[in-house]
Amino acid sequence: MEKILEVKDLAVSFKTFFGEVEAVRGISFEVGKKETVAIVGESGCGKSVTANSIMQLLPMPPAFFKNGEILFNGENLLSKSEKEMQNIRGNHIAMIFQDPMTSLNPTMKVGKQIVEGLIKHHGLKHHDAKKKAIEMLDLVAVPQPEKRIEQYPHEFSGGMRQRVMIALAMISDPQLLIADEPTTALDVTVQAQILDLMKSLQERLDMSIILITHDLGVVADTSDKVVVMYAGQIVEQGLTDEIFKETAHPYTQKLLASVPRLDMNRDEALLSIEGTPPDLYIPPKGCAFYDRCDKAMKICKDNMPGFTEHSATHASRCWLNHPMAKTNEGSGI
Amino acid sequence: MKADLDFRPEMFEVADKTDLNVDKIRRPSIKFWPDVWRRLKMNKLAMLGLTLIIAMIVMAFIGVKLSGYTYFEQNLKLRNTHPNMEFWFGTDELGRDMFTRVWYGARYSLAIGVIAAFIDFVIGITYGGIAGISSRRVDAIMMRVAEVIYSIPYLLIVILLSVVLTQEGGGSSMFVLILAMSLTGWVPMAILVRGQVLQLKESEYSLASESLGATKSWILKKHIFPNTLGPILVNVTLTIPRAIFAEATLGFLGLGLQAPMSSLGTLANDGLAGLAVGNAYQIIIPAIFISLIMFSFNVLGDGLRDALDPRLRK
Amino acid sequence: MQEPLISVKNLKKHFDVGKDAVLKAVDGISFDIYPGETFGLVGESGCGKSTAGRTLIRLYDPTDGEVIFNGKNIFTLSRNQMSEVRRNFQMIFQDPYASLNPRMTVLDIISEPLEIHQIYKSKKEMKARVIELLELVGLNDEHAMRFPHEFSGGQRQRIGIARALALNPKFIVCDEPISALDVSIQAQVVNLLKDLQEKLGLTYMFIAHDLSMVRYISDRVGVMYLGHMMELAESEELYDNPLHPYTKALLSAIPIPNPDIQRSRQRIILEGDVPSPINPKEGCRFVDRCSYAIDKCRNVTPEFEEVRPGHFAACHRIGEI
Repeated sequence: MEKILEVKDLAVSFKTFFGEVEAVRGISFEVGKKETVAIVGESGCGKSVTANSIMQLLPMPPAFFKNGEILFNGENLLSKSEKEMQNIRGNHIAMIFQDPMTSLNPTMKVGKQIVEGLIKHHGLKHHDAKKKAIEMLDLVAVPQPEKRIEQYPHEFSGGMRQRVMIALAMISDPQLLIADEPTTALDVTVQAQILDLMKSLQERLDMSIILITHDLGVVADTSDKVVVMYAGQIVEQGLTDEIFKETAHPYTQKLLASVPRLDMNRDEALLSIEGTPPDLYIPPKGCAFYDRCDKAMKICKDNMPGFTEHSATHASRCWLNHPMAKTNEGSGI
Repeated sequence: MKADLDFRPEMFEVADKTDLNVDKIRRPSIKFWPDVWRRLKMNKLAMLGLTLIIAMIVMAFIGVKLSGYTYFEQNLKLRNTHPNMEFWFGTDELGRDMFTRVWYGARYSLAIGVIAAFIDFVIGITYGGIAGISSRRVDAIMMRVAEVIYSIPYLLIVILLSVVLTQEGGGSSMFVLILAMSLTGWVPMAILVRGQVLQLKESEYSLASESLGATKSWILKKHIFPNTLGPILVNVTLTIPRAIFAEATLGFLGLGLQAPMSSLGTLANDGLAGLAVGNAYQIIIPAIFISLIMFSFNVLGDGLRDALDPRLRK
Repeated sequence: MQEPLISVKNLKKHFDVGKDAVLKAVDGISFDIYPGETFGLVGESGCGKSTAGRTLIRLYDPTDGEVIFNGKNIFTLSRNQMSEVRRNFQMIFQDPYASLNPRMTVLDIISEPLEIHQIYKSKKEMKARVIELLELVGLNDEHAMRFPHEFSGGQRQRIGIARALALNPKFIVCDEPISALDVSIQAQVVNLLKDLQEKLGLTYMFIAHDLSMVRYISDRVGVMYLGHMMELAESEELYDNPLHPYTKALLSAIPIPNPDIQRSRQRIILEGDVPSPINPKEGCRFVDRCSYAIDKCRNVTPEFEEVRPGHFAACHRIGEI
């Protein structure tokens, strides 16, 4: 498959008063054309930092890139100037956020915001841009678009604002859409609408999507590939089916077992992951999940496991994959 | 997999994690105020301000005794002596030692600032606190009253008061000055406190306390008041220089303290005459001290605000 | 049939939000909560579930209705009598960051209810009780002198639970206690709540928007929409045989973390958003988004009736759809 984005060995740190916080510690993944890649993990695992690194929206300082490259259509984004990045952000990669108000101007009519974007990106005449803006609101299923373009963002509900933000992101016909927890603040019925909308836009516009979420249900619903992050690292990645059915890493296994499912028996115990993720002020020397892992072995404490490939698309970072681990009980994966 | 590791079967035994306490907090515990102090200490400018304030307060007490002259002792033979080894800051047009007079003036300026700020603090907290916990109607009435009071220029009040309460020989007493400034000065504090109370009254921990059966006064005492202390402290720190400056302005306009008492403002006023005849030091020196006081309190206040800001924590 | 611990009858809570505008957050809901059970209350944001929970324990002044506890309507109790009820009714809040006073140590926070009700004469006895409570929620005396900001979200929520348990309550309203927490931490808190329920014989009202979690923890579940109760049934029954079109849509909208099921599921995607609860019209509240709506639905508010034993719903077209 044609690759659109390749992240290679990316490491991002933040300089803080106490010292360096290693938010992202060497991650690599790829996004193919028309593919949806979900990045899953808990708060603080580095998933949003990764997204903001691609867009280069991190405040620098305190953030800085320690290592790695981000190749978009073969070009390294990290070596681009701010001006070139602006062009890329405007025309090739778009981003939507959990809170739509971060990208909407509260003092400007919704229509005008879209119209200005259209004029800027496509050089349309005002009249044509307005017609196109109505079409775009229609595209994202905002009812009565002729009336709605004359309204201000605060007159829209949460779900409708999210739609407007998606419309704004679509102005430039991006090749890649980064969606950072786009449905977390929404109610389930509205979440279903937005996810549906994203899927249909993807098909129509041939877009790739990076979906950042903590909701495994959303992942199963929308993504082709899944990247599981923990404490700044990727612990497992693979096709969605591989992640859900041939789960390799103990963290992914526990994460899946800790969410109640509608299809689950109520008497089944909910597995809980005791403790909290490590503080990345002092990243652990060995496996970051050691403290919370039931299957931890002596080797895990001080030695960082490397990736083991389970298939061409599926890899995990765990010492249980080591041939010698098989001789011990409790190693069955 | 790493190649440089020498794998042995025992490395793959189940790890012994009996000592592991997943809920252990590794970072040391820091109490709120020590933490604020720690962050304040990191702010060099604020610390400079604090040092200057302490130095000036100390000098306001002992500085008046150092030169061996008193603030009222006139020596007409030594009029307008420029600063020298004998008179460190020179003498004024009546031959009084400026060094002693500056510290004497600083003492009054600081006293006026601190007392005015304290009165603002007491009235402001009481008034704002009552408005904040009262019903919406009472609150609205109290705030309108406060706004009306605040709209009266304090200069007008000072002039009126000094006409009514004036002493012989012109000038105002310290009492009149403080009274005039406090009459309107408490309003910003009251508005601040009211806003804080309104906000904290709705906070989840106040609600939690209510659900536990707490009374209004309990919530005010245990939850609202301790959490408003920070912003109030910043406000007090910034009120002091405002009061000092207001007094200095009045003094400069001739409405300040009555001679032979002096504040930095009246000293500057006295020195104004010297400016024309080549004795600029008579105005420059008090002006420098006014600026220093203003500077010190303002940077300290700003520093405190930053140190107290929860968003800048960690 | 068992006697209910709490009986809620026609509970209403309206807020004046301006001239002639009344926000009917809770508009006449009735249900019983039985001793030892977990009663789940679900709905989307703005449906009034949190307001219902808060009014129920009289944190808000009710507009109308009664809540019967121990044979008395708690809305008519005096301040003194209410103080006794307060000891039996407790609450766990959604935001573990906002519900703990940042200036108080954990010891102060957990001993607050003990101090308010003057349970212990000596500080020493009180401290011993606090440590007992901390241990109950899996923390220990090392944590007593620390401040809330030093804890993680899950730990803070456990502190909030310890505080709610301090007075040995019979009934606890859990107002979205896990929605601010990370997935891996949610299970910790839910398991703790379940353990405590068994150990201490507690009764819960569990308010949440996460239907899968509510199904997991609750014995019976009520579904709210715009201030009205739409459906109420035993947990299994509600999820297996939902009767109300809204419940059906709600269940269908939850993504299941299993790609096979998720891909093959027939899903009902509701149109539009939840309408405003300000000055709602007569008729079924769900009518504008309901694909089964008929004229009657617009004009007549459906009764909340027992359709099958223990299964209530408010819909004119129950038998037909």
